[in-house]
Amino acid sequence: MSSILIRRSNLLVSMAERGQVENAWRHDADAITLDLESGVPPELKPAARAQVREALQPAARGGAEIFVRVNDSTMSEDLDACVWPGLSGIMVPRVESAADVAEAAEIVTVLERERRLPVGSVSLIAVIESAAGVWHLRSIVAASPRVSQVALDEGDLAASLGIEPLPEYDPFVYARGRVAVEATAARVGAIGMAYPLSVRPREAPGSEIHALATKARNSGMKGVICPYASWVAPVNAAFTPTSELVAWNRRVREAFAAGVAAGTAAVPLEGRMIDVPVDEWAIVVLATAEACAARDAQKSAAKSQASETPSKSQ
Amino acid sequence: MNVRRSGLTMPVVTARFVDNAWRRSCDFVIIDLEDSVPQHLKAHARTLVKDAIASVSKGGAEAFVRINHDSMEEDVEASVWPGLKRIRYPKTEHAHEVHRLDALITRYEGARGIEPGTIEIDPSIETALGVANIFEIAAASARIREFGAATGGYDLSRDLGIEMFVDFDQFVYPRGEAELAARTLGLGVRTAPFVANTTGSVSDADRALRQAEAARKCGLRLGTGGLNPAVVENHNLGLTPTEEELRDAQWVLEQYRVVEESGAAWKTIGERVIDRYEAARAKELLEWAAACAERNREKAEAVARVKAQA
Repeated sequence: MSSILIRRSNLLVSMAERGQVENAWRHDADAITLDLESGVPPELKPAARAQVREALQPAARGGAEIFVRVNDSTMSEDLDACVWPGLSGIMVPRVESAADVAEAAEIVTVLERERRLPVGSVSLIAVIESAAGVWHLRSIVAASPRVSQVALDEGDLAASLGIEPLPEYDPFVYARGRVAVEATAARVGAIGMAYPLSVRPREAPGSEIHALATKARNSGMKGVICPYASWVAPVNAAFTPTSELVAWNRRVREAFAAGVAAGTAAVPLEGRMIDVPVDEWAIVVLATAEACAARDAQKSAAKSQASETPSKSQ
Repeated sequence: MNVRRSGLTMPVVTARFVDNAWRRSCDFVIIDLEDSVPQHLKAHARTLVKDAIASVSKGGAEAFVRINHDSMEEDVEASVWPGLKRIRYPKTEHAHEVHRLDALITRYEGARGIEPGTIEIDPSIETALGVANIFEIAAASARIREFGAATGGYDLSRDLGIEMFVDFDQFVYPRGEAELAARTLGLGVRTAPFVANTTGSVSDADRALRQAEAARKCGLRLGTGGLNPAVVENHNLGLTPTEEELRDAQWVLEQYRVVEESGAAWKTIGERVIDRYEAARAKELLEWAAACAERNREKAEAVARVKAQA
């Protein structure tokens, strides 16, 4: 099996908020995205851009992958400012076509060469915010091998469609389903939260975040972009197989193996029917649990090292 | 009109399932060479298909075979025999796979004295890539006469990385894409409205009835099949119109005759509108009910014949 990308939580912090940036590493996010876009007022953009290179390594102290969200209108300057060692990838907003992805990828390739970074090491997260983006999903996810994830920004999508979402009606079942299907078909990770927090993110009790993140996972999402640090822990938990799930899937594997040995691949177990795809899924769940544990161990090792050697910037 | 309300998938290597399948009152039986057959028994499984076709259809059920995605040639050679009605092709992802299957079936129909073009193809959509290419797949062969995506398939769930048996509808998009393709191409629509199954039980007869009734009330006619004999009777029942619905349909047609004679286009009786759309709906319902009754009679006669011979 190919290795599983564990990027459950991606904490979005504004480069205009110094305190947020300095503390981002403490929240146990699998990834942190330093925002140069919507979170930064226009007059602060040049300063934010100037600071982003120095923010990369400190933000990674907790073991998170570090991304930067760039502006589509100042793509070249923003990429020039942030493609440096320590950067895992770029979050590209307002993607409407394959050409938008290709443009970012080309600039990144040039910068990687100039700055002696391994070519291809900087990945892309494409963010879809318009009807055109939803329609062109297939060519967008296939536009560059750098695309590792694709997200729907449902707040901006609603604005772009001119709709005011109602509290009781999810307007994006189709769009979200299409993201999950097209991303999976291209072996790219779909990321996003479940409705209603997908369209109107806000701080909420951990149990609510956990329930909706679980729903997002069971809709085909592989992680959530977290606009608040308080989302990170429940999102990580929701995307980590529970011990009950691990135990069930171990029983599935045992029952299936016993069935095959006895000449059948259709095995009843606790009211369910276990056959090849159920066993295959059990393998995935068990491998995901292991990969999550490995990622968590990596992060706590990084974190304990960071607390032993405080960063100079503090 | 094919009446295919209920069906069971039977592992061809498990003799007690195959031998008893004809007793289950299924409209169709899917003889499985795929996911219920262990890898080391695949070759042996192929040798059993010809007899299984005759056996499972003794009670009047149509015999289908589910072949393996990766051994199409051998499986088709083992399956295309008189009595076979349809081949289900799992994990279809591209139209060219259907073209190849079509050509293989044509070859064996010719060689084995089966009327050309009669064996259907049922391409299963079980992966995200299959959903992405769904229209091209549905349009890939004249042998495809019914089409749909599963209401909660194990394979599609595995591919999307989702746990099944949750309390919300996870397959709105795949089902929508499948139905759109089927209706655009004028194919029979095989789908079902979402009815939660949070336990994962395959033998819940009550849920089977609720599911089939919900489908019937949406105007759907084709069953999606099952895995356990406990659900068959309720799939048959749930997709067959009730006496009350038949009386109502007859009443609508009588009222519509009055409307027609008066030269009007429509009238209202209480809160009901009687017009040509309602009349067409009532007529279709009565035709469907007649086809169900005919199918039930065929099956009962077939079962009686087997019992008489025994």
